[in-house]
Amino acid sequence: MSASLDKGVRVLKEMIDAPIASYFSSCVHCGICAEACLFYTETGDPKYTPIHKLEPMRRIYQQEYTLLGRLAKMVGLSKSVTDEELAEWQELVYNSCTLCGRCSAVCPVGNDIVYMVRKMREGMSAAGHAPEGIKGAVTRTINIGSPMGVKLPAVKAQMKHIEADTGIAIPLDQEGVEYMVTLSSMEIINFPEYLGAIAKVMRHVGRTWTLSSEAFEATNAGMQIGNSDLARVIVSRVVAGAEKLKVKTVISPECGHAYTALRWEGANLIGRPFTFKVQHIVETLEEFRAAGLLKLEGMETDRLSFHDPCQLARRGGVIQPQRNLMKMVAKDFVEMPDAGYMNWCCGGGGGASSIEEGEELRLEAFKRKKRQLDAVKPDRLVTACANCRIVLEEGLEHYKMNLPVVGLTETIAEHIPDPE
Amino acid sequence: MDLLEYRATRTKTVGEALEQHGIDRRDFLKLCAAMATLLALPASAAEQLAVALAKARRPSVIWLSFQECTGCTESLTRSHSPSLESLIFDMISLDYHHTLQAASGEAAEAAREAAMKENAGKYLVAVDGSVPMGNPGYSTIAGVANIDVLRETAKDAAAILAVGTCAAYGGLPAAQPNPTGAVAISELIKDKPVVNIPGCPPIPTVITGVIAHYLAFGALPELDALGRPKAFYGETIHDRCYRRPFYDQGKFAETFDDEGARRGWCLFKLGCKGPVTYNACATMKWNGGVSFPIQSGHGCIGCSEPNFWDAGGFYEALSMPAHPLKVGAAAAAAGVAAGAAVTFFNRKKKGAAKAGHETTTLEDLER
Repeated sequence: MSASLDKGVRVLKEMIDAPIASYFSSCVHCGICAEACLFYTETGDPKYTPIHKLEPMRRIYQQEYTLLGRLAKMVGLSKSVTDEELAEWQELVYNSCTLCGRCSAVCPVGNDIVYMVRKMREGMSAAGHAPEGIKGAVTRTINIGSPMGVKLPAVKAQMKHIEADTGIAIPLDQEGVEYMVTLSSMEIINFPEYLGAIAKVMRHVGRTWTLSSEAFEATNAGMQIGNSDLARVIVSRVVAGAEKLKVKTVISPECGHAYTALRWEGANLIGRPFTFKVQHIVETLEEFRAAGLLKLEGMETDRLSFHDPCQLARRGGVIQPQRNLMKMVAKDFVEMPDAGYMNWCCGGGGGASSIEEGEELRLEAFKRKKRQLDAVKPDRLVTACANCRIVLEEGLEHYKMNLPVVGLTETIAEHIPDPE
Repeated sequence: MDLLEYRATRTKTVGEALEQHGIDRRDFLKLCAAMATLLALPASAAEQLAVALAKARRPSVIWLSFQECTGCTESLTRSHSPSLESLIFDMISLDYHHTLQAASGEAAEAAREAAMKENAGKYLVAVDGSVPMGNPGYSTIAGVANIDVLRETAKDAAAILAVGTCAAYGGLPAAQPNPTGAVAISELIKDKPVVNIPGCPPIPTVITGVIAHYLAFGALPELDALGRPKAFYGETIHDRCYRRPFYDQGKFAETFDDEGARRGWCLFKLGCKGPVTYNACATMKWNGGVSFPIQSGHGCIGCSEPNFWDAGGFYEALSMPAHPLKVGAAAAAAGVAAGAAVTFFNRKKKGAAKAGHETTTLEDLER
């Protein structure tokens, strides 16, 4: 019970590093980032301009770290950041930002705006201005083990169902295997077919793998709320689990931000290199494909398109692998406009999907995705992120669009021939 | 050739001289059409050229060589074998040229004086090499300082052609620290038209092209701000380079033996000076249109630009500063000191914020 304005401002001062100082001083106020943000393009409200979402942080930077800013503050020309202001900015920093990174991709002076939003959230959460929905998700992850409150018994129950369905044993806590598979709780509760697909793929390619009873959950709500201390606690569980089982590679599930948390932020959070490699499942599948291990049969004949999760494609740089995989199984594969590096977000990334009061805005922003889909009219949409999948399904239902959304791993697994 | 015969050739018209050398009218018209194209003149000018050239008296040309390497003359003679340029050679009366004339000593100087006297006000002076003004003793001809020969010869000339980068801009002799105090011809001769034909060496066709223009139209071609004929120096190498599409696509060779180099990508990053060099190499090429440096895999070194020897390394990309921090070093040092002070202060502040960091627990998310 210690969140306060003072603490928030102190954390923001701590967060302003060399890149942020250079970003703020390089900004030419061109406003190109606005056109890259789906919350601006779909509402036309200038308050959703990405760089404007950082206004309190920019003022702190100016007043604390620049000569003119200090002078301006001294003579009262520049006002200190207030608690009311931060409260007002909560909607801008959380509800209307999915950390999708399109703004960073278009900035003509190369400012990584989304990097700054991530740091801004550190101060916002320390000041007590984080949305209840994300706070709840963090609390459940820290206390129970997963943002949806899923515990090990639920995982074991799903394992049993899948073993019954597929006839393949799901390994748990096996030491010294090649891969440790992690899950997002959405896959455990909503899309258990993912685990079944993994089991089929691993048997097909003849690789050893396991789940961990201590580190089955890969998602990291601590990163979404923007608190490195909590994010560290969560990521440390995966690290401890993987190192205990001495695996070579940890596979991040079909989840965007879990990949960012493990692959890009993880080692920085714990302050040392991992002893294992981190791959998104799409990268693992691509490795199998490139090695000629995937011998698939049959092709999908309906029109398929692929929705690139922002954290995987734009922030993670994984763009071609999913296309190579799609082409193995899809006869009629169509690309949406802006697909790949500049794909538009589903509207619910970066923790936004767990903010209840943000739903209306989310559905408004979904119009962008709708236009993308209307341009190519696929029969089915494939993606590689369980969160994208849920948000897409909500949006599609709201706009009464009849379009099934499926995961890439299960789409591939369906074409694996049964063993003799 | 006795003196009588010599004078006879000099008084001939171009048409007669060509006929004497067995060049028929068809070849002559072809030459005129080619010349018109070369000078970027309209097609109708070919006929005018033919009429004018056939009647033109071969002008006397006196070629002076000062602080030079004879490369410009080599270039001119390389164009001599069976090409347009060899025909042009028949169009002028080259009365004085150290390297090419048979006469030597007093006879040579007498030929120059005779040509000047007979053609006063009508002859052309071609100069290669720069003139030492720091100490005239660095370069003399028959004991006479270059500057004196130049002033004497230029006095009754119709125009001066400064052939090569040394004559046009000072060139290599004028490169820092310029020990001889070398200067360009245009800085010494102010009362006569001076045409700069820079290049180290210049393209032979460009040298002869300027002479042909003067012959046909009785006037010098249109010049740019640096005194160069616009027809040849109107565009940069880069703008007419066949590798330009690779530049536009951002495809660059990074070393001379990488994949990009093998694929013929842009040499910008390897120091090509094509973007700032005005010359006709990319279009007219060398050795009878066979190739030019970029086509052979090496970037343009910018040899036809002023101060090219002092404009930074041949292998440094144009985007690199030629003289980093040379000017304003003091200002930069002061800036660094001020920046360091601010940085120190800011680091202290940020350090304090960091030291004050309290590890967040779940409870700390609430107020």
